[in-house]
Amino acid sequence: MLHIVDDEEVIRDSLTWLARSRAIETSAYESGTAFLAALEAQKDFDPQGECILLDVRMPDMSGAALFDTLSTRGLTRRLPVIFLTGHGDVPMAVDTLKRGAFDFFEKPFNDNKLMDRVEEALAASREAGAAAEVHTRLATLSIREREVLDLILVGKMNKVIADELGISMRTVEVHRAHIFDKMNVKTAVELARLLK
Amino acid sequence: MQPPPSRPAPTLTRPIMLNKQLASLFRFPGRRRIWHWLVPMLLVLLFVSTMLWLPWQAQQMEANERQEQLIADTLWVEQTIRFQLDRNEDSIRLIGNEISTGYLSGKRLQERMAILIRNNRELNRIVWLDPQGKTIVSTDDSSIALTDLSSSSRITAERARATKTPQYSQPAPPPGLNGPMLMDYHVPLYLGEQYLGSLVASYSVTSILDEMVPWWFAQDNEIVLTDGDDAIIARRAAGGPGRNVYTHSRALEVPYASLTLRTNSVKNAPKLLPNLLVGSVIALSVGLIWSLIALWRDINRRLAAEGALRQQVVFRTAMENSLMTGLRARDLEGRITYVNPAFCEMVGFPAEELIGKAPPMPYWAPEAMNEYKQRFTQVLAGTVTPQFETIFQRSNGERFPVLIFESPLVDDSGKQTGWMGSILDISDRKRVEDLNRRQQEKLQASARLATMGEIASTLAHELNQPLAAISSYTTGALNLIENSAAKGIRFDPEVLKPALEKASTQAQRAGHIIRSVHTFVKRREPSREPIAVQSLIDSVIPLVELQARQFFVAIQVQVAPQLPPVLADRVMLEQVLLNLTRNAIEAMQDVAPERRILRITAEQDADPGGQRNVVISVIDQGHGIPQEVAERLFSPFFSTKAEGMGMGLNICRTTVEFHGGTLVHANNPAGGTIFRFSLPVLAENVVESASAELK
Repeated sequence: MLHIVDDEEVIRDSLTWLARSRAIETSAYESGTAFLAALEAQKDFDPQGECILLDVRMPDMSGAALFDTLSTRGLTRRLPVIFLTGHGDVPMAVDTLKRGAFDFFEKPFNDNKLMDRVEEALAASREAGAAAEVHTRLATLSIREREVLDLILVGKMNKVIADELGISMRTVEVHRAHIFDKMNVKTAVELARLLK
Repeated sequence: MQPPPSRPAPTLTRPIMLNKQLASLFRFPGRRRIWHWLVPMLLVLLFVSTMLWLPWQAQQMEANERQEQLIADTLWVEQTIRFQLDRNEDSIRLIGNEISTGYLSGKRLQERMAILIRNNRELNRIVWLDPQGKTIVSTDDSSIALTDLSSSSRITAERARATKTPQYSQPAPPPGLNGPMLMDYHVPLYLGEQYLGSLVASYSVTSILDEMVPWWFAQDNEIVLTDGDDAIIARRAAGGPGRNVYTHSRALEVPYASLTLRTNSVKNAPKLLPNLLVGSVIALSVGLIWSLIALWRDINRRLAAEGALRQQVVFRTAMENSLMTGLRARDLEGRITYVNPAFCEMVGFPAEELIGKAPPMPYWAPEAMNEYKQRFTQVLAGTVTPQFETIFQRSNGERFPVLIFESPLVDDSGKQTGWMGSILDISDRKRVEDLNRRQQEKLQASARLATMGEIASTLAHELNQPLAAISSYTTGALNLIENSAAKGIRFDPEVLKPALEKASTQAQRAGHIIRSVHTFVKRREPSREPIAVQSLIDSVIPLVELQARQFFVAIQVQVAPQLPPVLADRVMLEQVLLNLTRNAIEAMQDVAPERRILRITAEQDADPGGQRNVVISVIDQGHGIPQEVAERLFSPFFSTKAEGMGMGLNICRTTVEFHGGTLVHANNPAGGTIFRFSLPVLAENVVESASAELK
């Protein structure tokens, strides 16, 4: 989902049309306030595969201000922000880039390149969402299970693990099953790819 | 020395100078002035002396005449006496002869002698004395002897007897007596040689004078008979004693007696003063001298006035010559009566060629002849435009603009005699004005470009929106076409229609922005025309909105209904409005969005002088103007903006003042700043003339 935040109706409309031509789902907001309101309306907002096209210069709440708000809520990784700047806003855009914005485009922009970056941002969002999920699952592991997980990831056999930890082989296998179950993987290889 | 001026005495408007002039009159006169006065004075002296000499001369002549008259009269008297004596002598000698011949004797003789005495009263007596000296016959009753006669008479008797000729004796009184003085005529009587005695006729000398001198002569003169020793023998002074002024002496020819007749007029010398002639001469002379002095004083006064006048003329001439303004006087027929050097230099003709000229004048440019003629007709009709501009032609054909002020020329009796015009050559001023205007235009053009430069970022932003939109619509359309081509499905062009329509709209929007910029920057001639304030504001609003949108500023326009038009250059005023609104918008970019309101108001107002104005205010609610900035607000090259040239407000003020208004700023009570400029309202009747002037 691509969120377009721009005060200019024509810009919102044209970008929506463009995104649709690339089969990207969009929703448009006329201001940062409207976007934040929509965000609040959604319970347990968990963005994944979403990004924002944000106009720097807007009344009420500028693009930079909205970005700062999102940044404070720690949403900027899973909700990458691509700034759209007008003439002369480049220094500010660079500043936001340093603070974690995904990219910025100066108007007029090459539209398909913008869409390419939007797709990349969506992918990044998805990855970030996945990583966050892994992190959540990891948090559910017990201390012993984390120890076992660390040894599995370095590729040790159950027997070696049991020896090192001074526990039985059977206990290791139970832990291993719990870990696979909690991390929602079936094999050690899968687990390793997830926690790369 | 010049003759006194025939002009009327001037009315002197400079009393101090006049006093100076009068003072100089009492200085020692110059050498020429001495000669000027010496000759008439000498002539007057000569005249007076002649006038005095003439009566004297007349008096002298009169005296001479009287003297001569006296002499003549004296001679005549002498002759008369002499004649009478001669006659008496003849009578006595005849008697003597008749006695001698014996013809007369006795009684007849006595009668003859008595008749003679009676007829001649000067004869006192006649006596015939015998040779012994005894009386024979006597006219007196008493007989007289020879011894009764005076001694001189006795001597004369002897001498007459001896010489046998009659003789007169020297007058003398009878012996023993003081008078009367008797002069005896002795006629010796001879018959042959026989001496018969002598006939003695005695004259009383006093009687001679009394009887023989006419009364009219005696009335005027004292007559005296003297003997040889100047002793007075007899005197007759019927008219009083002589004055010893006119006297004459004449010897009386009496044989053997020495007698002198002296006449002495009783008249005085002729008196001088009572003479009427003298009186009138003196009176006339006094009158002449008095009138000369009066004339002299009058001439002095005139000289003083003339001197003062000359000084005034010199002063005024110097003033006229030093003037840069040309002066030209014309009579009521339009003939030039006077030009000053500045005018001659201006038109390049000498004064001699101009004075006396009647229209057409040599300095009239042929192409403007109609205008001159029309104005000249007005002059003849007695009305002139007090001030106007026209074109004159120099002698070399060059044209130059002049500003002419005309005023009536009035003589000292208050009657108008013509027109006096002062002419200013305003070609230099025109040149400077032209130069100024051109520079002003250039500055305006530069200012417009500068303004454009300063709002370039706004423009870029504004243009970016439609361009970005167009780009997105078309790219999206292309993507759809390519996708369907790749997937090999049939593509419905209808899908693209809304996107392409929107792209077209955005392209038109971009074009509109470009056009508004172009209109603004385009350089053009300034022109003043009546402008409605509403239309002025309407025309800048699009550009103002461009900027306002960039900073999210709301615009409120309040124009009072039925505002009168102003005479202005539309583009210049648009520039002013745009500058002020841009400043206002920029001043609000850091304030809270709900305060970002730009208000533009226009209303009618009257200043204290009664001049009606349209006041246009640009009101922001921005950061306001700090005091130290306010002081230098209108200074050129002063700017608080990084990219500002500092010309905006300076040009605004110049432009507004160029239109006859003022540009001021004030703090907005609600926060922010108010810029307010006024434009004079175009009066109804001025509209037509102003637009006519523009054409």
